[in-house]
Amino acid sequence: MISSRQRALVEFLLDNLVWIMLAIVLAVFSLTIPNYFQIGIFVNIIEQSTFVGVMAIGLAIVVIAGNMDLSIESTMALSAMITGILFASHGIGIGFTTTPAWLVLPLSLGIAVAVGAVIGALNAWLVVKVRMNAFIVTLAAFIWVRGLVVAISGGRSAQDLAPEIRFMAIEPFLYIPLIAWVAIICFVIFTFIMRKTPFGRHITMIGGNAVATFRAGIRVDRLVAISFVLAGAISGLAGWLLAIRTSGATANLGVGMLFNAFAAVVIGGVSLKGGIGQLPGVYAGVLLIYSIHTAINLMGLPAHYTQMILGGMVLAAVLLDTAKLQIRQKLA
Amino acid sequence: MTEQTPLLRLDNITRNFGAIEALRGVSFDIARGEVVALLGDNGAGKSTLVKIISGGLEASSGRMIFDGEERMFNSPAEAKAAGIETVYQDLSLCTNVDVVANFFMGREIVKRCFGIPVLQEKAMYDAVEKAITNAGTRIPSLRTNVEHLSGGQRQAIELNRFVHWGGKLVLLDEPFAALGVEQTRRGLEMIKRVAAQGIGVVVITHIMAQAFQVADRMVVIRQGKVAGDVRREDTSPDEVIRMITGEASIGRAQEKKPQLHA
Repeated sequence: MISSRQRALVEFLLDNLVWIMLAIVLAVFSLTIPNYFQIGIFVNIIEQSTFVGVMAIGLAIVVIAGNMDLSIESTMALSAMITGILFASHGIGIGFTTTPAWLVLPLSLGIAVAVGAVIGALNAWLVVKVRMNAFIVTLAAFIWVRGLVVAISGGRSAQDLAPEIRFMAIEPFLYIPLIAWVAIICFVIFTFIMRKTPFGRHITMIGGNAVATFRAGIRVDRLVAISFVLAGAISGLAGWLLAIRTSGATANLGVGMLFNAFAAVVIGGVSLKGGIGQLPGVYAGVLLIYSIHTAINLMGLPAHYTQMILGGMVLAAVLLDTAKLQIRQKLA
Repeated sequence: MTEQTPLLRLDNITRNFGAIEALRGVSFDIARGEVVALLGDNGAGKSTLVKIISGGLEASSGRMIFDGEERMFNSPAEAKAAGIETVYQDLSLCTNVDVVANFFMGREIVKRCFGIPVLQEKAMYDAVEKAITNAGTRIPSLRTNVEHLSGGQRQAIELNRFVHWGGKLVLLDEPFAALGVEQTRRGLEMIKRVAAQGIGVVVITHIMAQAFQVADRMVVIRQGKVAGDVRREDTSPDEVIRMITGEASIGRAQEKKPQLHA
């Protein structure tokens, strides 16, 4: 029999395993790869993690609620493209400006988030009201929304956003660009929501046992719908950030990020069965992915090695999940 | 002793599924503090009846008088708000969260900070600790996820939760099917304790020995009708089995009101 303090410690370590892995990986890379250990590299990792990180929040919430959202990448691209078309001044951009000029920042943000929320609401309607399978609904959205992006852009790109928006990607605060701070703040806010509010508690319980929550009088359909709208809106925010980072948008913007987001969510300890997972772990998962990505870049290896490692890591994460469960069962 | 209105009166409840008559006029009473065993063969209509009582299904016709008022519940949430709840095996708990979260499922204590509802973990923990201790249930840690608890502990949580939230009538669907001997014994004791607090308990079971151990009355459903409604001391397991299989049909307790307030 172990004491409750030891047990709490083991539980804590299990809960934060991905952070420990991140620390080990960073330590190993810093010691073995020349030039890895410098502030610029770490800042770069955090900056790169912004888009997949933000997107992964929405994905994690939907997955914790016991569902699936494959549409986030295309939703992000659509929001980025609409931001680009409306507010970029070159290419297909129509260079919409506002007086005062700074108003363009909240306006573009609002539009990007709203676009994402609309896609999310459509997914929610099909899943909750029409009772279609979430995998199929969001796979379809993944395809048709990307199609829409190509259609409205004609395959061309929009460039040059106004400096009133662009500064978000350029200006640093404590070395870290403002857009990366947006991602960090999002993680803090949504971690709070998931842990400390009834909404987060109910989402987690729905993922664990939807029937029980329904019997308890929790409005399951409504909350599941909200989770999809949230995922869409957050993807819209990710798209806005991506448009700012690239100062515009191209039709194939963000292709492949869905898989990184999924990998991050799984590596971060979110169970695809639903009901289990913590958002800080997901952020650690994203940072871990981009730490490895950066290491491979620095070593001058071709980028596809990242993909191989990523695939291996996802498998390892699932195996680890099973191992963690066994340890917990022994504890109880 | 004054004649008390029953907690729940079912009056000629019917339910059709298309051309199939699942219930063909079911009538019986449940008193406060009474444990009723609902018996019957598979397909006799027990589950349909339980669902109608707890708001999961609507009756095709008939009346239900609960707590002195004519009611029909359109959803489990509505029935629950009135104080009727079905405790299913495992189905009413979220095993991925801890005991406290389950206890307060859908009724979390919150405090608004700038309009945002924030969970009050300490207050909820204290309330659960008190309720569990009062009920004489032992659970190692209220912060343990329910998935690590035994079947008996889970059932204890569900029943304690029900009592804590002011439940009046609890329906237990095969409560001991997955439990061991010792856990079953404790479960039966718990049912008696719950009933002693004036709560009506309906136990749906196949196991005659358990029905006779815990119930004050046996109600047998057969082919959508009440085939028997007898007090425990007036009957025997053999007789009840004959009612279930259709060899005997007795409705004595209908006239003979059960003694209240033991």
